[in-house]
Amino acid sequence: MFKELDPLLHSQLRLSIMSLLISLESAEFSYLLEQTRASKGNLSIQLNKLKEAGYISIRKSFRNNYPLTTCKITPKGVKAFENYVETLSEYINKKKP
Amino acid sequence: MEEPFNEQESLQLIREMIDNAKARLEAGSFFYLLWGWLVLAATLIHFSLLYTRFAYPYLVWPVIMVVGLAGTFYGIRKSKRKAKAKTYLATSIGFLWGGFSVMLFILLFTAMKGNIHWAVFNILIIALYGLCIFVSGGIIRFKPLIWGGIASWVIAVASLFIAPQYTFLSIALSIVVSYLIPGYLLRNKENASNHV
Repeated sequence: MFKELDPLLHSQLRLSIMSLLISLESAEFSYLLEQTRASKGNLSIQLNKLKEAGYISIRKSFRNNYPLTTCKITPKGVKAFENYVETLSEYINKKKP
Repeated sequence: MEEPFNEQESLQLIREMIDNAKARLEAGSFFYLLWGWLVLAATLIHFSLLYTRFAYPYLVWPVIMVVGLAGTFYGIRKSKRKAKAKTYLATSIGFLWGGFSVMLFILLFTAMKGNIHWAVFNILIIALYGLCIFVSGGIIRFKPLIWGGIASWVIAVASLFIAPQYTFLSIALSIVVSYLIPGYLLRNKENASNHV
């Protein structure tokens, strides 16, 4: 029996965010916006979903009087991402003829 | 809102995003060129002053240090503003060079106390920044820096066999091969990757 793919990660935008954050120490909102080419509203919603699940942490601060949002993957997020990749490779290996 | 996607597409997306995050080349050339030119100038001035009646040729170093540190803080501030994302590589390199600064002051203090000769200090410093250049090159996978580090080690060993005052020329030579040449090559690479 296959394990089920984490539904929180099996979404294009949330998976993009997590794949970027796993390679970085932290990333600003504008960087994620640039890389994922998502809309600001959608990116905010998906970031909050990941934050609620404890997969990422979000820090809000100011730089030159402008709000600055910085995101970072949490250990729980790293584990979830690793599990997702592991399950994914099981699926792909099984499908190979 | 969310389009369904299959496992292959999912894997492709992960690869693409990880590659995008990795593609950010750490802008380090500014620091290599800044310190390269400053130390080269200081070394040559110090060496020239050895042949004059000036009693304090080493006074050139505190001046260079202040200019270098001011330039370094300016560079860090500028790159932090531009960066938008922080990489583990940049943090590792920062720790490495931070550690080098501490070692530099420990050795400087040791030489000032008279526990080691100035020529030995010069040789140890060449070997030490050779190590930092070598590791930095390994971290960002940039061969000219790796070779620059190795060249500095060779120069450090060769300097054991020359008269003490010429160790200043050893510093000058090692700065050219391990800071300036790789620094300019890195700058070309940074410029090329910024214009793609």
